[in-house]
Amino acid sequence: MISGSKIRGELGGSAGAVQWRDVCRTLLLLLAFSASSAWAFELPDLMGLLAKQKSGEARFTEQRFVRGLEGPLNASGTLSFTAPDKLSRRTLTPRPESMVVDGNNMVLSRGERTRTMTLDSVPELQGLVEAMRGTLSGDTAALTRYFKSVVGGSVDGWTLDLQPLDNRLAAQVRSVRMSGRGSEVLGLEMEFVGGDRSVMTIVPTRPAP
Amino acid sequence: MTSRQPVATSAATGASGLSRQRRIVVLLVWLAIVAAGVVLITRTHFSADLSAFLPQSPDARQRVLIEQLQTGVASRTLLIGIEDGTDATQRAVVSRAVAGAMRESGLFDQVQNGDASDWKAAGTWLFDHRYRLSTSVTPERFTAAGLHDAIADTLSLLGTPAGNLVKPLLDRDPTGETQGVAESLIPANAPRTEAGVWASRSAPRAVLLATTHASGSDLDALTIAIAKVQSAFDAATRDMTGAKPRLRLSGAPVFSVQSRDQIKGEAIHLSIVGGIVMGCLLLLAFASPKALLIAFLPVATGVVAGTATVSLVFGNVHGLTMGFGSTLIGETIDYAIYYLIQARGAAVPGTGWQRWRDLNWPTVRLGLLTSVCGFAALLFSGFPGLAQLGVFSIAGLVAAALATRYVLPVLAPDGATGMGMRRTMAKVAGAIVRGLPRLRLGLFALGLAALALLAWRGADLWRANLSAMSPLPKEAQALDESLRADIGASDGGLLVVAQGADVQTVLRNAEAASVRLEKMVDSGELTGFETVTRFLPSEAAQQARVASLPDSATLRTRLNEAMKDLPLPVARLEPFLADVETARNQPMVQREDLASGPLGPIVSSLMYQRPGGGWGALIALHPGTKFDQARLESALAGVPDVQVVDVGRELGALYDRYLHEAFVQVLLGALAVVVLLGLYLRSPRRLLAVCQPLVFAVVLTLGGLAVLQVQLGILHLVGMLLVVAVGSNYALFFDQLRETGRADEDTLASLMLANLTTVVSFGLIAISNIPSLSAIGRVVAPGAMLALLLSAAFVRGAPPAPPVSSGRR
Repeated sequence: MISGSKIRGELGGSAGAVQWRDVCRTLLLLLAFSASSAWAFELPDLMGLLAKQKSGEARFTEQRFVRGLEGPLNASGTLSFTAPDKLSRRTLTPRPESMVVDGNNMVLSRGERTRTMTLDSVPELQGLVEAMRGTLSGDTAALTRYFKSVVGGSVDGWTLDLQPLDNRLAAQVRSVRMSGRGSEVLGLEMEFVGGDRSVMTIVPTRPAP
Repeated sequence: MTSRQPVATSAATGASGLSRQRRIVVLLVWLAIVAAGVVLITRTHFSADLSAFLPQSPDARQRVLIEQLQTGVASRTLLIGIEDGTDATQRAVVSRAVAGAMRESGLFDQVQNGDASDWKAAGTWLFDHRYRLSTSVTPERFTAAGLHDAIADTLSLLGTPAGNLVKPLLDRDPTGETQGVAESLIPANAPRTEAGVWASRSAPRAVLLATTHASGSDLDALTIAIAKVQSAFDAATRDMTGAKPRLRLSGAPVFSVQSRDQIKGEAIHLSIVGGIVMGCLLLLAFASPKALLIAFLPVATGVVAGTATVSLVFGNVHGLTMGFGSTLIGETIDYAIYYLIQARGAAVPGTGWQRWRDLNWPTVRLGLLTSVCGFAALLFSGFPGLAQLGVFSIAGLVAAALATRYVLPVLAPDGATGMGMRRTMAKVAGAIVRGLPRLRLGLFALGLAALALLAWRGADLWRANLSAMSPLPKEAQALDESLRADIGASDGGLLVVAQGADVQTVLRNAEAASVRLEKMVDSGELTGFETVTRFLPSEAAQQARVASLPDSATLRTRLNEAMKDLPLPVARLEPFLADVETARNQPMVQREDLASGPLGPIVSSLMYQRPGGGWGALIALHPGTKFDQARLESALAGVPDVQVVDVGRELGALYDRYLHEAFVQVLLGALAVVVLLGLYLRSPRRLLAVCQPLVFAVVLTLGGLAVLQVQLGILHLVGMLLVVAVGSNYALFFDQLRETGRADEDTLASLMLANLTTVVSFGLIAISNIPSLSAIGRVVAPGAMLALLLSAAFVRGAPPAPPVSSGRR
């Protein structure tokens, strides 16, 4: 728990540092959205912002804190998203594996094994994928179907806290927090039932056009 | 069999009438035969599976297919939808209740509704046997490097949503064998889950999949199983308020049962309507209820004798054969009509039957023989269904003719009394007979045009296929497709079948095929496949896997080395060491042990004892987007005793072969009719005159169907044979008329009436909802009418007037 909040603080800090380097763009965005979000940054504002970005690629580094293990599990790789429903996560280290979601199909590759699945046959997985896709594509309806959401911060540094509504998902995932700036998601944190946690830092490699 | 007694009767016909004793004996014998037939029928099993219409001696692939159609898992799979109602939660409640009641009933091998609780017992079993089941268990995996890789893989799942499933097993199964086994069992196209149970993606409905315990050919047991689903659903929804969900059922068992009911119902319905219509016709003609009753006796005798004989010969009666009962009525009633009209007008009362016997019976007998010849061709076709039709028709016709010949003289020695509308009918008939020859040239030209059309269209005409014989309405087919899509159930379109003399050989063959198929899954050509070897590996595979497991000391040493840079403390893995040691001494997993356990139903659905001896295992495929059947076949080439069965393609090939054989049979039947006619007529000129209208009737009928764009199939072919068989009676009468000039008004009226009843009965069949019946009706109704008209039109040599004027004399 203690280490969790520490990491969250560090991430917030690094996001803040990035923010100053792009002040003009943020100001433009602020102007663009000032009509609706002059005072409070709400979910529709964030979603509207995110909906602008139709595709993106990023690198990620992930740290997972699992009870009973000596030290965190580290992983890194690439993420890509194409609106409205293509999402892929390719892990490069420590072991190559991939998860590619396209519509309702999911293909998992680990080692030499490839598995194809339908997403909606596994509701707990579907919820998580919809949270990601919903956020990335700015689809409020998809997001609110599976989660109770709370938006914090502002355009230049927002957080989106999600709590699962579905029982089966809630039995596994306690909360999901996404964070970002403007139309870019820069962090994904998950807390699991039982105390395990995963923290992902995202660095866009192909920014929004 | 039935002919013995009546022969004795006919020997004593010197007197002007039949003696009282003779009459009693004849009636008693006839009643006894009919009663015996009825008793036999009440004990008869009626079947409806279309596989009865598949050949008996197909090649290996087709035999696999037929075994599957008759008893395979596809023939036992029920698809159940719980539709509408208030919401998903309500449907889930009903789904669970229905599934629970179905599981308890013991009528089903498996009932799946997406409720994970069904898998608890199976999951425990899989976990306990993981080192025998996991294909990853190899000597390499248990080296230090292999263990490192496997454990690192498992660890990579921790801290993800999947981690919660892996974590509890980590200490006992750090290499993730359970997960590997489980992964391979998750179907690639699993249904959507909603409120904890399977749900449709396209409609508000919960879906279930069940396999009946009863074989697909045991319709009575299937009926009980289906009724159980309905009653479970009724019980589950009884106390529900507001909008109640609806039950939707589909799958082969439903279709089989429905087909049987439909065929039964429609056969009865047609018989009743046909009976009423013909009764009215006969009343018009005879104006005598007694004559009406007597006319139906040979028909009833024929149907009873036909059904009973089929039951005796085949052990069961196919629904379609029964459906033919009503078609037989059309032909057998002709015998009674001929008799009732032609036996009239005797000089000495009570001797009319003798005149009929001497003058007309030979013609009726010849007509009977030609019909028998035609149907006999079906006996040798090698198709149980068609052979049944043949036996049914032959026995029915013979019995009806014998009843006419021996029973009717007892009941109505002088034919029917009363004139009814017959004088008018005879006038009409006479006018037609006199008028038609003028149209001869036109009809001839029309016939040639039809022939040209048929020659031009050629094989293209015969486009109907086996599914055209299925009485399933479009709506039912659409529901089936939609439920199948919901459940992701394969429609059994493409199967891989491994065979072998014993269980172990089959399992080894299936394993060899699985290795090749696994590669196609990795390349995305298949999204997955189901094989029994995931639960029941061959003994060879089990032995090899267990031999890969090192002893405790070795494993401990290697584990220490493997875990150096991994964050999992070795100390936690003591349970793993213990489990591996246990697995080394575990008994072999055998089919018999599995059969009684939670996985028994799956094993029995994927593996079966072949009727002809030996074993078979099914591998159900889930093709991916890149799937290519040719690549599948080349990938499996060389695997011993493994075949790819493309159900659609094989059924098509079967049907083509079936059609071809039917063509040969029908031609042989027609040839036999011609030979018989030739032997009787002993005159090429008369033979030609008799055959000509028959050929033209068939050609014109086919031409008409071709113009109407009807896709012709095997049953149209059978119908053509019937046209020849029925039409030869008319042609012979006209031949007799021309040769002897002895046709009076009544003879013409009898021909016209007989033809009308035939056309009406086949016309009713033509509008039936059962495609196979309507196909026959649509050929025979116009064909029979054409046969009569053409026979009249082509009468040559006889002056137009005499037939009717001779009657007025």
